[in-house]
Amino acid sequence: MNAAQFPAREPTDWTTDAMQRRIRARYRAEKRFRIYGLFAVLLSAGFLAFLLITMLSSGARGFTQTEIALPVDFAASDIFLEPAQLEGGDRDQLLAGADFQGLAEQTAIDAYGEDGTMLISNGAWLRLREAVADDPELLRREERIWVQASTEVDFAARGADGLHMTDERRAMIDRYAQLEADGNVRRGLSWTFLSSADSSDPTLVGIWGAFKGSLLTMIVTIALAFPVGVLAAVYLEEYAPKNRWTDLIEVSINNLAAVPSIIFGLLGLAVFINTFHLPRSAAIVGGLTLALMTMPVIVIAGRNAIKTVPPSIRDAALGVGASPVQVLTHHVLPLSLPGILTGTIIGMSRALGETAPLLLIGMRAFVPSPPSGFTDAATVLPVQIFLWSDELDPGFVEKTSAAIIVLLVFLLAMNGIAIWLRNKYEQRW
Amino acid sequence: MNDEIAAPATDRIAIPPETLKMTARDVDVFYGAKQAIEKVSIDIGMDHVTAFIGPSGCGKSTFLRTLNRMNDTIPIARVTGQIELDGENIYDASMDVVQLRARVGMVFQKPNPFPKSIFENVAYGPRIHGLSTSKAELEEIVEKSLVRAGLWDEVKDRLTESGTALSGGQQQRLCIARAIAVDPEVILMDEPCSALDPIATAKIEELIHELRGRYAIVIVTHNMQQAARVSQRTAFFHLGTLVEYGETSDLFTNPQKERTKDYITGRYG
Ligand SMILES: Nc1ncnc2c1ncn2[C@@H]1O[C@H](COP(=O)(O)OP(=O)(O)O)[C@@H](O)[C@H]1O
Ligand SMILES: [Mg+2]
Repeated sequence: MNAAQFPAREPTDWTTDAMQRRIRARYRAEKRFRIYGLFAVLLSAGFLAFLLITMLSSGARGFTQTEIALPVDFAASDIFLEPAQLEGGDRDQLLAGADFQGLAEQTAIDAYGEDGTMLISNGAWLRLREAVADDPELLRREERIWVQASTEVDFAARGADGLHMTDERRAMIDRYAQLEADGNVRRGLSWTFLSSADSSDPTLVGIWGAFKGSLLTMIVTIALAFPVGVLAAVYLEEYAPKNRWTDLIEVSINNLAAVPSIIFGLLGLAVFINTFHLPRSAAIVGGLTLALMTMPVIVIAGRNAIKTVPPSIRDAALGVGASPVQVLTHHVLPLSLPGILTGTIIGMSRALGETAPLLLIGMRAFVPSPPSGFTDAATVLPVQIFLWSDELDPGFVEKTSAAIIVLLVFLLAMNGIAIWLRNKYEQRW
Repeated sequence: MNDEIAAPATDRIAIPPETLKMTARDVDVFYGAKQAIEKVSIDIGMDHVTAFIGPSGCGKSTFLRTLNRMNDTIPIARVTGQIELDGENIYDASMDVVQLRARVGMVFQKPNPFPKSIFENVAYGPRIHGLSTSKAELEEIVEKSLVRAGLWDEVKDRLTESGTALSGGQQQRLCIARAIAVDPEVILMDEPCSALDPIATAKIEELIHELRGRYAIVIVTHNMQQAARVSQRTAFFHLGTLVEYGETSDLFTNPQKERTKDYITGRYG
């Protein structure tokens, strides 16, 4: 190598026009890139805000209800029960036999005229029965009882906005104004919506049944998918020999994570219901089916998280005499927990919003009371939303939006817990 | 038993039996089909710092890791021959490898503190081996180990801070404290200063001086000056074999083998 091979070069002139142009172009490119990024962020934030605002504005009403007062004269009614009779053990039977529905309808007609029954919800009479069950002495007197108003009254309470106006509607709005002036209607938080389950009458529906169904289903899912997913990830990363079988397992798991969810529904139907004869529509079957779907996501995230634990940490622990299991439980798992939890959040969020596989295992059934256990017939929030959005009665529209809000709150709460856990463990670095 | 084993051919020094800590006879190490160590026999004494030197890739780390069976963690690694600690074969089925690693501690090339507090780093070993019966005793072990590692004054006010927040040299001394905390008999150090600056290196070398005699220390280094400064015995490895082993001063001033002479005069590195 001698100097002759490399002829002397002119020193670079950094101030020429061409150079300056390049610099300007570079600045422009960087600025442009920043703007694209900003635009993308604003776009997605905008969509999210739009979604939340529309949901909240139409859904908030779903949590409220209109109630109408019925001056019920129990003493003069056709219900010939004595308070003393209701002390005994056959109370429920006696109450069920009494015609509270007729009483409610008659009272409505007496109080509000011929079409009075139009003002009260179909299930309004249940309130009378509950009132008597709580206080049998009512049977001796007259009492003003607040019952759910019908969907028409509920809409009238909203005023003229947003609805297609018909003559009946207009008449109802005027009528509502009169009722309000007389103090015979009131609006408030709907305890019914928060505490009961599905119904064919939108004034009587509740979200608690679907919420509890989702909760039970998610408990089954995480109880199965998390430990099995983590153990599978640990085994594949730490113990499995590298051979054709483990390659095959790895490929299968990766593919499983990409299988469309409806296939898992068919699998759940075939395995859990047809083969193991678990009850249809139950949270346990839903949870097991969703666990099958969530597990591969946790396995993949878990393996990646375990891989990122530096080998030097394992060496360090082995070097002071930790056994392989101690290395795993004291170091590898705690360090990979944030990554495992991230995968769990993704998997569980997907499971919570899943509808298709649950329809196949019968969770689309009409379930009028909240499930009291894992094997009871149940529905879940997304299926409930699907069912309500399919209803013809316009009263279901805002109930659907309200259910969506509940689902989103559930999702945020679940993710919040997972993120809190993740941050708690991340601080250990 | 020991008498039957022939003294290693490359040995230029006789180690008095009462200070003999570890012996290796005809050790071969294979990674799969590839042989990384061939017929290495060596005696390691209690009172000395023993340095392993040699060009990069000659198998110093591999051989060092056979002494506490860290090679077990590499699935393709296979060790044959005989290695004894206090006359006990460490590759014997009856040898518990967890206990062995507590008795033969290790410090790695790159400082690798746990991402936990300074206290937890040192307390980890004693805790898993049940070396303390009370919190007070554990605290005493931690303090003693940090004092011996020359780190106590620097960290005594921030024991709860993360070990990974220390400087590189402090991290390496923390790793030494962590090894000392389980009260080992031998400490293996694999190029403990190669990731450190000269000042941190000097501190570690000073520390090795102070620890000498209490523990048998084996240090791998590619730096001949360092071997000359810290060790009393030096073993020169080349291409997987032990070429020459002797008193450090002797080996550097009067090498017997041509290859040793070439290496220490810098003809290859
Ligand atoms: N885990 C391993 N798998 C396969 N070969 C290895 C492994 N570790 C080291 N080797 C090989 O063994 C030989 C000795 O390596 P090493 O002991 O690290 O040398 P040194 O520490 O003297 O630089 C090298 O050829 C290296 O490539
Ligand atoms: Mg090495």
